[in-house]
Amino acid sequence: MKRRVAGLLGATLAASMMLGVAAQAADITVNLGIWPEDTLTDEITMHEGFLEKMKELRPDVEYVPAYYKYSTDTFMPMVEASTVPTVFESWFTEPQKLIKQGAVADITDQLEERGWLDAMNPAIRELLSDENGRIYGTPRDGYALGLMVNVDLFKQAGLVDENGVPKFPQTWDELAEDAKAIKEATGAAGLCLLAKDNAGGWHFSNIAWAFGATLVTENEDGTFTANLASDEAIAAMEYVKSLKWEYDVLTADPTSEDWGTGFTQIATDNAAMYIAANDAVNQPTAGNGMALENLAMCAIPAGPGGQYSLSGGTPYMFSKDATPEEIDAALDYLEVMGKCPVVSDETVSGLEADAQMRKDAGIPVIQKFPCWINEDFLAAEEKSIEENANVDPALYQPYFDAVSADGLRTEEPGQTQDMYAELTKVLQAVLTDESADVASLMQTANENYQTILDNAAPAAE
Amino acid sequence: MKKKTKFKRRDLMSWLVMLPSVILFAFYVWEPLLENVRLSLYSTIRYQTIDFVGLANYSRVLKVPDFMAAFKNTFSYTFWSLLIGFFVPMIMAVLISETVHLKSFFRVGVYFPNIVPGLATIWIWNYFFTPGPTGVLNILLGKIGIAPQVWLNDSRWTIPLIVITMTWKAAGSTALIYMASISGISADLYEAATIDGATIWQRIKNITLPSITGLARTLLILQVISVFQILYEPMVLKNGGPNNASISLMMLVYRFAFRDSDFSGAAAMSVMICIILILLSGLYMKLTRKKEEY
Repeated sequence: MKRRVAGLLGATLAASMMLGVAAQAADITVNLGIWPEDTLTDEITMHEGFLEKMKELRPDVEYVPAYYKYSTDTFMPMVEASTVPTVFESWFTEPQKLIKQGAVADITDQLEERGWLDAMNPAIRELLSDENGRIYGTPRDGYALGLMVNVDLFKQAGLVDENGVPKFPQTWDELAEDAKAIKEATGAAGLCLLAKDNAGGWHFSNIAWAFGATLVTENEDGTFTANLASDEAIAAMEYVKSLKWEYDVLTADPTSEDWGTGFTQIATDNAAMYIAANDAVNQPTAGNGMALENLAMCAIPAGPGGQYSLSGGTPYMFSKDATPEEIDAALDYLEVMGKCPVVSDETVSGLEADAQMRKDAGIPVIQKFPCWINEDFLAAEEKSIEENANVDPALYQPYFDAVSADGLRTEEPGQTQDMYAELTKVLQAVLTDESADVASLMQTANENYQTILDNAAPAAE
Repeated sequence: MKKKTKFKRRDLMSWLVMLPSVILFAFYVWEPLLENVRLSLYSTIRYQTIDFVGLANYSRVLKVPDFMAAFKNTFSYTFWSLLIGFFVPMIMAVLISETVHLKSFFRVGVYFPNIVPGLATIWIWNYFFTPGPTGVLNILLGKIGIAPQVWLNDSRWTIPLIVITMTWKAAGSTALIYMASISGISADLYEAATIDGATIWQRIKNITLPSITGLARTLLILQVISVFQILYEPMVLKNGGPNNASISLMMLVYRFAFRDSDFSGAAAMSVMICIILILLSGLYMKLTRKKEEY
C-alpha cells in the first residue's frame, strides 16, 4: 500500500513537473489586465473568442486573463512589486502622472513599427506623450463631453418635436428654462450637476468655456498663470448658482453627486439632463437599466463665449517591466480587439464582435469619437456600427454634429486635478449657501490654484 | 547568585514567548514607521528615494492651500468628539450596570451598531442626512411639520453631525469596556452603601464614578488619538466638503499618497500628525499627573 502511494505521489510529481515545462514552452506571457470583470459575461464571452483567435495567430504567446481595475491606491504598490499586468486600462486623468513617475512603458518604437503613430488623433496623442514626444499608451476610445437626456422626462414636459425627438437646449439659458419646465411638469430635477469630487470641476470647466473663460494659461517660460477669477469664469459660476437658487432645478444634493450617481439619476428618471460622454452610454443603459429609446445625447449648450466640448481619451497602458516582445504581443491582442488603426480581417471582426456585444447587452451602438484618423479604419468602424444600429440616429445627431465641429477642446493644462478640486470647492459653497459671494470665492480659488502651480514648478525640475 | 541565574532563565523564557510578536511588530509596525520618517526627508519617484532634501517636503505640504482648513477641522473633530462622544459611553455603561431587567438585551443593543461595517454605517447615515424631501430625517421631521433641513450641507454643522454618526457607531464598544470595569467593583461597597441608605445617584457619584476615572483617562487619550486620524467618514460622506468644511489632515495624507502619488509628501504629513499626537499625549499626561499630586 505504502509503495503504491509512494508511486502515485512520484507519478503526480513527475506529471506536474512536465506540465510546468509545457507551460514554459510559450516564452512570452502577456497578462491581460484589460480582461472584463466577472459580472460582464457578454464581454467575457467576446474576449474568450479573441483568445481562441490569438492561439492561431500567436501560438508562441501565452495570454493570461488578469482582470485589473486601475485604482490609484493599488497601482503604485503593484509597480514596485512588478505585478502590474502587461497591458491595462487607465483613466484619462492618469497618463501624465504615470509617465512622470516612470510607472509605464515607452511604446513609441513598437507603435512606429506598426505604423500606428501617424494614425493617432493628435489631441489624444498629446495626452499620452511626454515632453520629448515619446508615447506611452494607445487609445481605447476617445470621448467628448455632451449632454445625456432622459427622453421620457422631456416628453412629459412637452419638450419634444412631432417625431418624439427631444427639443435639445441650444444655450445654457435655454437649458435652465427647459430644466425648470421639466421640474414643474414632472417633479424630477432638470439637471444633475456634480459637486462631490473633482468631476464637478471637470464639468464646470466645460461650462466656463462656454461663457468665454480660459481657466489657466501656459507662459513662455513653462510656468502657468491661474485665471479662475476672470469675469467670464465668475459669470459661469453665477449661472451655476442660479440653477440652484433661482431656477431650483438641480437634484436634492449636488454635493453628493459624482460621476457614477449622475448616470443613476438620469436612468431612474430623477434627472432629465446630465453632462456625460459618448463612451459612457453603457452606464445608464446596461449599468442602470435605462431603456434604449429613453436615452438621447446632444451637444454641450453654447454660452456667450461659444460652444465647446471637452475631449479626451481612455488609454491602454503597459507595465514598465514589460519586454518589447511582450508589448508587441499585447498590441497584437489589441489589434484583434479592433482597438487599432489597422484594417484587417482580425480588426474588422473585432469591431463586429464589439458592436454585436453592445447590441446584445442593450447598450446604444453609436458612432465612436475618433481616436484614430485614418480613413479606411473609420469606414470599417462606421460599417460595423451601421450594421448593428439599435437606436434612432436622430437621438444622437446633435451630439455628433457638435463633436465633429471646431468646438473640441482638451483639458486645461497644468495641475489640472488641483484646478478641478479648487473649482469643486467653490461649487460646493455656492450650491449650499445662498448668500455665497461668487467673486470672492473664485478669487480665493484662483489664489490657491496659483500657489499650487507655483509650488509644483520646482518638483518638475 | 543562584537565584539570579534562575531568574535570568525565566527571563529568557518570557523573551522567547514574546519573540514572535516582537518580530511581527518590528516588521509590520516599527520598521515601516522609521522608513516613513526616512521617506519624508527625501525626494521620491514612486516609493523610491532619490535625493536627501531635509525638511523641504515638510515646508511643501504646509504650503498646500487646504492645510489650514484640514488642521483646524481636525482639532474641531477632536473637540466635538470629546464634547459629544466622551460621556455617552460612560452614561450608557452606568445606566446598563444599574439596570436589573433586560440587562443583556441593552448590552447587545448598544454594541449592535459596532458590528455594522464602517462604510455601511456611513451610507446609512448618508440616507438619513440627504437634504431635500427625500432624506430619511427630513421625512421623519416632515411628519411633525418641520421643513426639510440641509444637514451636512450647512458647513457649521458638518463636523458635529459627522461626530454624532461616529459616536453612534463607536460608543457601544467603549461602553462595554466601562461595564467590564464597573462589574469589577466590589459588590460589598454597593451593599454597604445601600445599607447606609445611599440613593442610586449617591452610589454612582461616590462609588462607580471614582472607580472608573483611571480608565476614563486612558480612554480619553485613546479617543483623541483615534479621532485625530479621522479619514473615511468625511471622505465618503462629503469628500471633505462642502468647501473644505469637513476635510481632515488624514484626508490630505490620502490625497498626497493616492491621488498624486506623492509619497514623500504623504510621509511628511503623517510624521507631523504623529508629532502633534505625541505632544498632545505628553501635555495631557503632564496635566493629569499634576492633578493626581494634589
